Amino acid sequence: MQIKPILTALRHHKAGTVLIAVQIALTLAIVCNALFIIHQRVTQLSQPSGLDEAHLIRIQNQWVGKADDKAYGSLMATDLATLRKLPGVADAYATNSVPLSGGGWSMSLRLKADQSAPSAQTAIYFSDDHTLSTLGLKLVAGRNFRADDIRPMSAKEDLLHPAVIIVTRALADKLFPTSRAVGQTVYLANHLSTIIGVVERMQTPWVGMSWGSAASTLVPFRLLTGGTNYVIRTQPGQPDRVRRSAPDALFAQNRMRVIPDQHGVETFRQIRADAYASDRGMAILMGVICVVLLAITAAGIVGLTSFWVGQRRKQIGVRRALGATRGDILSYFLTENLLIGMGGVLLGIALAIGLNLWMVTRFEMQHLSLWYVLAGAVALLLLGQGAVLAPALRASRVSPVEATRSV
Amino acid sequence: MLKMNHLSKVYRTEVVETYALRDFNIDVKEGEFVAVTGPSGSGKTTFLTIAGLLETFSGGEYHLDGIEVSQLNDNARSKIRNEKIGFIFQAFNLIPDLNVYDNIEVPLRYRGMKGAERKQRIMDSLERVGLSSRAKHYPAELSGGQQQRVAIARALAGSPRLLLADEPTGNLDTQMARGVLELIEDIHRDGATIVMVTHDPELAARAQRNVHIIDGQVVDLSEEPRFHAHAGEAAQGQTL
Repeated sequence: MQIKPILTALRHHKAGTVLIAVQIALTLAIVCNALFIIHQRVTQLSQPSGLDEAHLIRIQNQWVGKADDKAYGSLMATDLATLRKLPGVADAYATNSVPLSGGGWSMSLRLKADQSAPSAQTAIYFSDDHTLSTLGLKLVAGRNFRADDIRPMSAKEDLLHPAVIIVTRALADKLFPTSRAVGQTVYLANHLSTIIGVVERMQTPWVGMSWGSAASTLVPFRLLTGGTNYVIRTQPGQPDRVRRSAPDALFAQNRMRVIPDQHGVETFRQIRADAYASDRGMAILMGVICVVLLAITAAGIVGLTSFWVGQRRKQIGVRRALGATRGDILSYFLTENLLIGMGGVLLGIALAIGLNLWMVTRFEMQHLSLWYVLAGAVALLLLGQGAVLAPALRASRVSPVEATRSV
Repeated sequence: MLKMNHLSKVYRTEVVETYALRDFNIDVKEGEFVAVTGPSGSGKTTFLTIAGLLETFSGGEYHLDGIEVSQLNDNARSKIRNEKIGFIFQAFNLIPDLNVYDNIEVPLRYRGMKGAERKQRIMDSLERVGLSSRAKHYPAELSGGQQQRVAIARALAGSPRLLLADEPTGNLDTQMARGVLELIEDIHRDGATIVMVTHDPELAARAQRNVHIIDGQVVDLSEEPRFHAHAGEAAQGQTL
């Protein structure tokens, strides 16, 4: 190998060498972190909600005018009866919020009444005995709510004391990592509730919460307010039909209501798409930035090497005259690029880790996996070799007779 | 050592064919010191580049050290250049980014020589050209004469059987030229075959034999008196 003379020669081309090495370093630092962010976003995007998403429709209903709690209770019961009878509907229930909708309630849970720091934070979903079958939630322990568990709750009241609750497995594992959750009691606000069931998974209304995306609690309440969400599970192949027929049936039943044009009737697919729009946008933006940066770096390498090949035509001719084969010239430029690339990559690894640490402290990002840095380093070295190949091949075709030409 | 029979070199464009060498015949014996003279554009340098396998030829035969070179591939030609031929160029052709030591090392590395042997050869050849103390200097830090001596050291280090010199003193003043020529004669005495292209009659006179090229052909001056008027330098070279 001719590493030593190449390094010696590079000392005479410091500006170009340093420029490309720094470009490689910055690209590595940014691309590693960007890919890491993309990976996190994509992981988030592909998290299962635990729901039978393909068959779910959410209707946001707002009553016109004011009514008392009892009237709201009766209107809601009539609506649910109407929806459940509708052709194509498998089941329906009313709630304050659904997963990924972006709005809902959260509370803290304590294992002991006098505990200062909460044991866990949880999303609160108002539910009834139809909730599990409507959402398609899988009960993995204990039992579902019975009709006699369900109690009305006025919007004016604080959260009533739920005697029984159902929690997700993620929350159960967090609260009781070593024992069965069913039968245990927890403090929700200041009231003791007994866990009667555990569902496999149910995402919270919010994406990217620091306390976890699956710590949810079902409480057996029917919220009596002017506004509520009806969640409908359709039979297979019926979502489009029910999406049109359900609001019509509700209006036919009672016209004194508003179902907003926008987001009033939505399939769960739409809710999911809206919930992750910013994540998807960010992932795409990061992806574009990566591609642009890599392209600029590759173009920089092609440009500089082409310039060097042009500048060193005579020198290449002399080397050929002195016995260098085409392969020797090709390997000279590839090795030269590899050495610059390795310098850039070493600096880039430090920068990538530094940038990540800064983001960890500043934006609560996770620590960058070293595999990303290593894979990025290898990818950039390969990109460099790919970029340098065309000018290096051109160099290898310089005729030895160039040595005799006067410049 | 170097034998060309009816060799031709044609440069073709879409509209015109230009013969740089035509029916070119030359036979340089092992250990000879031949000076090649001729007016500008006569084909001297083309002859030298073909002789040094820097360029291919269009027709005829060329035997170098007994090998017919027209069928050799690029790698084989590179190997012969590296192992059998030493070049001395008018413009020295040192690599400006490398110091004297590294410059001399270039052909030895291409030969795949081990580090210790390379070092020995480099130091020996530097000593022979009187530049041992300048091993770490860069070409730009040396005078023209010193640079040419480094180029000679680079050629010497490879122990070439054939030394091809293209106007080796063309860029040097008289005193430096003399030193360089003495070195070339020294190398000749050690057994190398030397072919030197030159304009300089004094230089040509130091060779054992002069070959004159006009219009891409070797001219026997004794049989072509009409060229004497144009090729006075060469004629002078022959009579000396």
